[in-house]
Amino acid sequence: MSHPTINVRCFRYDPETDPAPRFQDYRVPLVEGEMSVQDCLNHIREQLDPGLAYCMNCRLGFCQRCILKVNGKVVLACETAVEGDIVVEPVNASEVIRDLWCEST
Amino acid sequence: MAEALYDRDITCDVLVVGSEGSGGQAAVNAARAGLDVLIASKGKMSRCGASQMAGADFNLDGRSAIALGLPGDDRDSPQRFCEDLVREGFHLGNQRMVEKYVEYAAKNTADLLEWGMPVYRFEQVHAEEMARGLITSGVKWVRILRRKVREMGIRVLEDTMVVDLLSGEGRACGAVALDLKSGEIVLIRARAVVLCTGGWQQAYHFNSAAADLTGDGQAMAFRAGAEMIGMEMVQYIPATMLWPPMARKSILPYIMMETEAGPFVQLLNSEGERFMQRYDPTTMEQSTKEIVAIAGELEVEEGRGSPHGGVYFALKHLTPEGIDFVWGKFKGFLDENRDKRSEFRKLLPRLLEMAKTEDLEVGNAVHFMVGGIRVNERTETGIPGLYAAGECSGGLWGSVRVASATTQVGAQGRIAGEACPAYINGVEHIEPDKDQLEAIRERIRAPLRRTEGVPPIEFLERMHGVTDEYLRVIREGEGLESAYDELSWMRRDEAARLYVSTSKTKRLNFEWQLCLELENMLLCLEMSTLASLRREESRGGFYRRDFPHTDNDRWCVNTVISNRDGEPSLRLEDPVVTSIPLPAGRMTFEEAVASGTASLKRGEVER
Repeated sequence: MSHPTINVRCFRYDPETDPAPRFQDYRVPLVEGEMSVQDCLNHIREQLDPGLAYCMNCRLGFCQRCILKVNGKVVLACETAVEGDIVVEPVNASEVIRDLWCEST
Repeated sequence: MAEALYDRDITCDVLVVGSEGSGGQAAVNAARAGLDVLIASKGKMSRCGASQMAGADFNLDGRSAIALGLPGDDRDSPQRFCEDLVREGFHLGNQRMVEKYVEYAAKNTADLLEWGMPVYRFEQVHAEEMARGLITSGVKWVRILRRKVREMGIRVLEDTMVVDLLSGEGRACGAVALDLKSGEIVLIRARAVVLCTGGWQQAYHFNSAAADLTGDGQAMAFRAGAEMIGMEMVQYIPATMLWPPMARKSILPYIMMETEAGPFVQLLNSEGERFMQRYDPTTMEQSTKEIVAIAGELEVEEGRGSPHGGVYFALKHLTPEGIDFVWGKFKGFLDENRDKRSEFRKLLPRLLEMAKTEDLEVGNAVHFMVGGIRVNERTETGIPGLYAAGECSGGLWGSVRVASATTQVGAQGRIAGEACPAYINGVEHIEPDKDQLEAIRERIRAPLRRTEGVPPIEFLERMHGVTDEYLRVIREGEGLESAYDELSWMRRDEAARLYVSTSKTKRLNFEWQLCLELENMLLCLEMSTLASLRREESRGGFYRRDFPHTDNDRWCVNTVISNRDGEPSLRLEDPVVTSIPLPAGRMTFEEAVASGTASLKRGEVER
């Protein structure tokens, strides 16, 4: 059974080794039923690129550590449903430790 | 030049591993006595672990409740609360620990009230006959603890995973941790160590826990020579969301079943049959958690499950008026508890909307670890200077947890915090042994250094394959043997091949952290399987298809696992009894559940 696939454009940056931030595109299949931004990131980490850094803890809105910028808007990744392509960035790009994880994460 | 044994070092009187319900409470109580306390947490304070996700209710007996100005029931007493806990835990609980739990339940509650924890209600919980539950919010509870920890100036290392304990002269003398943000190895010198690390739920594919719960405390305690107790006792929670992915692992449907609207919920199999009528025709869906979980799993086994391996939570059988009525019940509950659980704000309204037109797929999630590090009523492990409190410890509940875990973690956290000063008096710091430090450093660095082997994600999937197939609610000898063979092979041979397969950065390297966590989860699973295999009966939350009786004549005993040259070695031990005699006789599981949990049986279901 094939499912629609979306593009997840992720902010990537390792201040220790990269001259500048860049964006990386991942193709993520949407399964039947609601998927969150966090589900997409988990798919990337589990199936495509375990090197992507982001924070995930409770998955259900308690810890609020999955706070990210999605399509320019600050949201909790676990509570945000995905319907189409998304751009995912850290909540504060000036204090990134690595990729989507910044000091205030 | 030789590689440094560590990147930085910190010295304290007491190291508390874990920062939440029990860690926070342990730290505050040790600091109150003037000790220099350091908390090391794998996450961020009040934003990690199990406590944040708690309901939460704090239990205390009616008389102690009245003393705190709460509307307790004066027919109740500490002794009566103890008796209920021991009986409903099927008599495996350590009675000295239960007595201390009841005593400190009240002390912990008094602390939290003094620190400003809100009280929503005081009511009957866990289907007890009497009101013993102070209802509050898990999120607020952990924030209050965080505030207290900050007020007291307690140092906290966040996003720091303690990897292994250090010992010298037969005593605990600190630990080695990995700073997850920098990748630095941190040596922590301490005169006493308190483990408050929670369960190992993440070892199971379908669980209801936060990501941190990977059995770190149990595994490091075992490696340091401490014993485990009751590792076979794993608590499942039925009616946990299986699908869609966004709602997965939420226990909201289960919570709904516990509210006034609960009796209107039906659980259906794929044929639309209300299957509980074949398992417990009197109480149906309102039967005990254990019976509902077993029934659901049998339906799945017999091919009547939902597409993702569960059953259906249904409300759409109701008439429009009925739905409105139930909605009204939920709405009242929602309005009253809006700031209690974050799921109530967004996920619950969506699920309710969904339930109007479709049935929700729910399943049995691994929820709580009843067993763990063997401690006594003072939270002492067998290793001087090493304490364990909260879910990572074992021995309190016996075979099933029948009161709140929030109470356990707070009470035991306080006990541990109070135990430290007396122990530390006269105990000096011991400089850690270089060989020990080198071995731990190598264990930490090895997965990063290896250039080939098994990627941790693949390893995790294999491990989850074993739990999905053999370590379910219903267990049996043959499956447990297969699981044990596979898990012990994975631990002995395969774990040494774990490697970081992509980015070799030391900073926030998910694969690296997972490699270390996998070793811990695997060890916990192996010990749990060993104990499950040995227990040839069914009791409380533990069910063996090949031994469906509760056998008090042979099996009213605990499984204890010790470390024999690095390998788990199991023995049986009688429960600690003070005043409540152990039962005799052999009965069917259903009879045992009915007699053991008489006070837990709910009223007949509305039809």
